[in-house]
Amino acid sequence: MPVYIARKLAFFLLAVLVASIAIFLLIRGAGGNVAAVILGKDATAEAINALAQQYGLDRPLFVQYFDWIGNLLQGDLGRSFRTNEPVTDLVVSRLSISIPLCVSGLILGLVIAIPAGTYSALNSDKPLGAVIALLSQVGIAVPVFWAGILLSLLFGVRLGWLPTGGWTNWDVSLWGAVRSLVLPVISLGLILGASLTRYVRSAVLDVMNQDYVRTARATGMTRMQALLQVGLRNAALPIATVVGLQIAELIGGTVIIETVFSLPGLSRMILANVAAREVIVVQSTVMLIIIFVMFINLIVDLLYGVLDPRVRLAR
Amino acid sequence: MTIAPTATPAKPRRRRRRNLTLTIGIVVTAAFMAMALASFFYLPHNPNVPRIPDRLLPAGSPGYLLGTDALGRDIFSQLMVGARTSLTVGAGGALISLVIGTIAGLSAAAFGRVADETISRGADIMLSIPGMVTALVLAATIGSGALTTILALSAFFTPSFTRVIRSAALSVMQEDFITAARLYDRPTWFILLRHVLPNVAGVMIVQFTLYFAAGILTEAGLSYLGVGVTRPSISWGMMLNEAQQQVGISSPLAMWPGLAIVIVVLGLNLLGDGLRDVLDPKLARRA
Repeated sequence: MPVYIARKLAFFLLAVLVASIAIFLLIRGAGGNVAAVILGKDATAEAINALAQQYGLDRPLFVQYFDWIGNLLQGDLGRSFRTNEPVTDLVVSRLSISIPLCVSGLILGLVIAIPAGTYSALNSDKPLGAVIALLSQVGIAVPVFWAGILLSLLFGVRLGWLPTGGWTNWDVSLWGAVRSLVLPVISLGLILGASLTRYVRSAVLDVMNQDYVRTARATGMTRMQALLQVGLRNAALPIATVVGLQIAELIGGTVIIETVFSLPGLSRMILANVAAREVIVVQSTVMLIIIFVMFINLIVDLLYGVLDPRVRLAR
Repeated sequence: MTIAPTATPAKPRRRRRRNLTLTIGIVVTAAFMAMALASFFYLPHNPNVPRIPDRLLPAGSPGYLLGTDALGRDIFSQLMVGARTSLTVGAGGALISLVIGTIAGLSAAAFGRVADETISRGADIMLSIPGMVTALVLAATIGSGALTTILALSAFFTPSFTRVIRSAALSVMQEDFITAARLYDRPTWFILLRHVLPNVAGVMIVQFTLYFAAGILTEAGLSYLGVGVTRPSISWGMMLNEAQQQVGISSPLAMWPGLAIVIVVLGLNLLGDGLRDVLDPKLARRA
């Protein structure tokens, strides 16, 4: 197990390193002269040079890279060019919206997908099993923002039960904050749940066709017993992998759903800064998100090792 | 003991369901492509020219099949041009990913452990970078537009193509005819093109179809955020954004583009599943 953990940890660090270089080059390489981009088309050469000098943008790229990554490791994400606000402050204030949204969406997705997928795998020839498979197929085709629009149309406009958008901060009203998150979380969770249902279904179908399940059945277990005692533990592995991969998708969904419901979360902050060409803010925030996703994947990999002795003992 | 009797009659029924899946998929996809192609030759109205007197007409108004938006632009014409965008951006992104993913996947399968590790780990790293975020970065640096969106989709999808094609190619490489070809001293590139590629073509086609659909969804999302395509191009995602901003969500304007996305993406996914059943029976059992 220690070797397994060390390998996964080494890969995590390598992945973060590669991703940081890629993001840096993508932004600096594709963006051209950053100072010129920030100041816009009408800026004079002097102004551009002055800004470049002030922020060290005139130094060689690799010096800037190590400067950025060194500061990042110490928790300093840089400052906004326009407002001079530290990026860390910008990010932290938004996390109290984005993290609950993202995590509750994921939990709701799993709460929908695991029972629904298992049921439809075990009852694929019954009507309800087929209906679940069909619903999940349709759900996969629904864009998350359209789900958001429809839900807020129904519960916000027609029924008036919940706000159609906007945000009440946690310290103003706890209930208000929860109310403004309900529809966004349901939209995210439903759409994520639809695609996860498909994966759970195929993982369970796969497992139920394995020899060890047949052996378990042969010892006199019912299908349900075989599933619970032998099947689920084996199906958990591919499901965990898919959930890890879906985190990246989930973040994309969060970006969009924050816009649908005008929640001032992290992704709306990124969007505003993309529009304002705040290169450093975008670069650092995006890197943070990537590290977060990679970290979740690391956890999934380690979990894999815990769940399956074959994985942790291999090589 | 209960397994045997249910297994036999289930077979023909399942096959019929497969054919139905494939048929619906083909019909929807063909209709969508016809709509996109028709938009080059005929549009009921110019979708970008506002006609204020005709603003917000309901569906079925004379001359406007699905009504008009807040600026009096014809909804149906916009949907037709939007289909064109979905088609080019979705297929473009999937096509670039297919080409790069095939080259990378085949190389990983054929050129030894170092190449395999490098390519596979590279794909893993790219997979953990959220695609939406990459797209935002690209939009921030090189500006938004159809081309940026295609680039972002390719960066987003290529690692999945690489992984799927690699694992398909690896299992082909185990076959006896590959060993035979090696004994004939065929060069590796020849074996890949002549023997491996035709045998992974089914996987490639299925993967292309499913990611074509995913590309349409992602493009709609990006355009909804305002970092995808911009006018005079039109995207279904953009139409939803405009509907929400200009008239609020309660307007029926928010229905048509959403429905269009769902139908087309569902159709392409059904087509992909149906094709998988036909082309790749081993995979079909799992899905």
